[in-house]
Amino acid sequence: MEQEKQSRRSFLFNLGIISAVFLATVTFIRDVIAYLVPPRKKKKFHKYLVAEELELPVGQAKEITISKKPVFVVRLKEGYKVYSGVCTHLGCIIHWEEDKQRFYCPCHKGVFDKYGNVVSGPPPRPLDQFEVIVENRLVYIQVEEKPGGPWA
Amino acid sequence: MSVKQWIKERFPIDYDKFVEINERIFIKEPIPNHMKKWFYCAGATPLILFALQVFTGILLTFYFVPSPEMAFESVRHITEDVRLGFWVRGLHRWGSNLMIISLLLHMTRVFFTRAYRKPRELNWIIGVILFLLTLTFAFTGYSLTYNQLSYWATTVGTNMIKEVPLVGHWLLVFWRGGEDVSANTLTRFFTIHVGLLPPLIIFFISLHIIILRLHGVSEPEGFEKGYYPFYPHHFYKIVIITLFLLAFMSTLTIILPPGLGEPADPTVTPFHIKPEWYFFPTYRFLKLVPLKVGIYATGAFLLVMTFWPFIDPLLAKTEDRRRLWAYGVGGLTLIITVILTVWEMMVA
Amino acid sequence: MDTIKAQQWLIGIFSVLLIVVLIIIAGMEMKKSREYKPEIEIDKMTAKCITCHEKKGIAVKQIDAWKESRHAVMGIGCYECHEAKEGEFDAMRCPESDIIVGRHPTPKDCSRCHKKEVQEFSESKHAHQFWLFKNADRAVFEFPLATKHGCEQCHQIGNLWPDGSVGECDACHAKHSFSIAVARQPETCGECHLGPDHPHIEIYLESKHGNIFKAKGKDWDMSYSSKEGNPIPIEVPVCTTCHMDGNETQPMTHNVSARLAWESQMTWSFRTVWNEDILGDWQVKRDRMTAICNSCHAPDFVDTYFLTADLVNLQYNEIRREFVRWTKKLTKSGLISRLKADGKFYSNPVLNGWDEVPEHEMYYAWHHEGRRFRHGAEMMGADYTQWHGIWEIQEDMIELITWAAEHGDAEAKKWVNSDHPSKFIPYALYDIPGNVWGINVKANTTPFVYNNYPDYWDRVYKNVEAAYKQGLLSEKQWNLWLKRYKNKDHYMGLKYSADSTWNYYKQRNEYDLKKMKEQVIDFTLPGKPFYKK
Repeated sequence: MEQEKQSRRSFLFNLGIISAVFLATVTFIRDVIAYLVPPRKKKKFHKYLVAEELELPVGQAKEITISKKPVFVVRLKEGYKVYSGVCTHLGCIIHWEEDKQRFYCPCHKGVFDKYGNVVSGPPPRPLDQFEVIVENRLVYIQVEEKPGGPWA
Repeated sequence: MSVKQWIKERFPIDYDKFVEINERIFIKEPIPNHMKKWFYCAGATPLILFALQVFTGILLTFYFVPSPEMAFESVRHITEDVRLGFWVRGLHRWGSNLMIISLLLHMTRVFFTRAYRKPRELNWIIGVILFLLTLTFAFTGYSLTYNQLSYWATTVGTNMIKEVPLVGHWLLVFWRGGEDVSANTLTRFFTIHVGLLPPLIIFFISLHIIILRLHGVSEPEGFEKGYYPFYPHHFYKIVIITLFLLAFMSTLTIILPPGLGEPADPTVTPFHIKPEWYFFPTYRFLKLVPLKVGIYATGAFLLVMTFWPFIDPLLAKTEDRRRLWAYGVGGLTLIITVILTVWEMMVA
Repeated sequence: MDTIKAQQWLIGIFSVLLIVVLIIIAGMEMKKSREYKPEIEIDKMTAKCITCHEKKGIAVKQIDAWKESRHAVMGIGCYECHEAKEGEFDAMRCPESDIIVGRHPTPKDCSRCHKKEVQEFSESKHAHQFWLFKNADRAVFEFPLATKHGCEQCHQIGNLWPDGSVGECDACHAKHSFSIAVARQPETCGECHLGPDHPHIEIYLESKHGNIFKAKGKDWDMSYSSKEGNPIPIEVPVCTTCHMDGNETQPMTHNVSARLAWESQMTWSFRTVWNEDILGDWQVKRDRMTAICNSCHAPDFVDTYFLTADLVNLQYNEIRREFVRWTKKLTKSGLISRLKADGKFYSNPVLNGWDEVPEHEMYYAWHHEGRRFRHGAEMMGADYTQWHGIWEIQEDMIELITWAAEHGDAEAKKWVNSDHPSKFIPYALYDIPGNVWGINVKANTTPFVYNNYPDYWDRVYKNVEAAYKQGLLSEKQWNLWLKRYKNKDHYMGLKYSADSTWNYYKQRNEYDLKKMKEQVIDFTLPGKPFYKK
């Protein structure tokens, strides 16, 4: 009986020490991982002017650059659409073919229609779009705000 | 047991023999009784600190950029922007300081207990080499932050090398990667700090330990003869030291976070430039005497220190007299070092 | 210490300590010594402008200023504002190109995006070119060239452009960084609101608000937006805080007239009717202002403060009434004359005319001193109400009457010869028992009118009541005044006695005077003077 008590106490003691060391190790590793993995920042967006409402005729597109990547501003009957110019397949840059009213990716012959949907070829999903805001007849898109400098 | 079996088939070593060797070398390593006193195990501390330095150092290279334009900015980035960056940098910075402190303590202890005596002379010399390598680590590492103080410490420090006889100029050009402190100097220091020195120091550390194990730990007098196994007693000691060091250095980082200083400006030398505290004795000494004398004297001191285990028996015939010599020389060195350090600390 | 058990304890203790330290560390953040500005995209058109301007070295600093702006971040480049079509008033063809640019973007250009702000501005008095509606004014006194870089520079803020839009946004929103912080800086308002006729920046800097701003404001971020209905983020107000910025209860506005209850810059102080249909009457405007004041002050303080300032405005009218009476009388009697050419008058006995002393004094007592007296009282500029204000107005009046006496006006002669102190108060008075700042036990024992006219407060009561009935004071203000009137003894400190303290200072004062007499007044030099009397 006495012995049993003794061994239970020493079991609890050992358990306490082992879990303290374990927790210390886990906390340490957590802090190291936190150091190595940049935190996911809350994305901040701002409006970015891309066109005037009547600047383009319906069915025309213009190419602009955002964050060093091409972006297509297309005026459709329904209004403005703004697509990332990066093919959703393997990241090549698409072309706008006005006569066919479609986007074409030269790398693997991916074709998107003017709404950004995949018509043929290997792209797995439609083109990425920017949120479009029209205010006072000016067309803005929502762009992620990135700090300048080497660490962006 | 199928997992064990699976491994055994693919890694066909003599498993029992492996366990046996492992037990003999590590778990049941005989530790002499006196090692139960904390005073006698300061040798493990620098080893643990070195391991932590390797770890935090690798972490720092994830963000550090060794170029004159980016070095300071990336250190700032690590310290201010990167999550917990100040902690990793603080651990590395405090680690370097504590490593030198613990080495000084270890060496002092070894010297005064005269553990360097035959047949352990070589291990003392390797120890001195390890100490010098650590100082080189500290000097090159300090330069990488590329702030005003580190830039000018690099300039002044490398300029001194020029005074070394015969090969001085050659050494200067080697360290600087050219006649002047330039981008080459920074990349060189970086490569030396993270590429060249670590394998070198690991080699000497291994040698240090192998020789130690071959001879066994030198046993001072006045302790009951006898041994106890490495595990668990000594193993626990190492765990305790590791935990203590991590907690201690993290606390130091909270209280005294690593600073940034001013970005390096090669056109302006700041009014008060000082090396890190462990160079204070040398720095003060060099201010007192002409540069040439200073360099030669420092060189001579290093030579005497390195070959002391061979010099010591030449000084007297009996052990008692030799001990007196060692105490005298050691004590004098200690006092002069402390005086020079404190002196340098006091003056602006 | 050396047993296994003890070592295990140590392991446990240091583990727990390490956990604690690591958790503290994980929650810490270092102060940042550097913040990167948002990345900007330079579109093709803007890049074209920049390349050419840099090559030719034309206004290149403006490119840097633009890069600092929020416009740059939002893709508003050069041509978005400088767009123009052939034939427009400011159209210009850029040399060596076929780009037509507008040299001068107007509020119409700004309103493409900032519609509400431009609209609000156009409904404010900033946009009102009042001086063009007034017969001649100083145009006879100052020749046109002097006004180009004089009046016209400040009044450009209300410019009427060929495209029909009104105003000059960059008067406050300095181009091309269009920084909110710059627009909000008091010195921006003070570019124009300074000097002898409306020393508003001086009044602000004299006030407690300005004092604290000068001491601490350099560390404040003044680039905040006040559109969102957030609490005022700065410790004391700057000009825009009260006149334009929003707080939790008031929306931000570009209409600087939206919160003003007086036309106190005018010849007479009258309750504003400016854009009543849009902005409401003066009481609504005053409520807008107090809604801002109440962010920091107790309502009782704010109301008493403004009531006192309002009485100063009303008092000004009574003083002016005397000036007008004199200039009219002197004109009628032929002592002063109106300027005229080709049957048209170029001066006005109740407004301007500079060639005769009474006209001059009257002009100053309105346009300079009269405004300082009133605006100082409204914005905590004690020295402008006092020495630069009422003191100089009274001197103007004395000089006017003295001039009339010298030129043979009988009433003026009688005034000059009078030796009764009341000669300096030839008008009715307003007053309020005590002041807003506190209770001063002995302050109300000295005024001449308090001591010599037992019906003083009855007269004042009737005047204030009349002003209330005329609609120049609100009912709330009248009640506030009555509360003080009914508790005069309290507010004027008359029912309190602090004689022991009072006597202490009285003794020291007597001692001061005695010593002054001993030291210097009774002191004569032995050497003779040089001029023989």
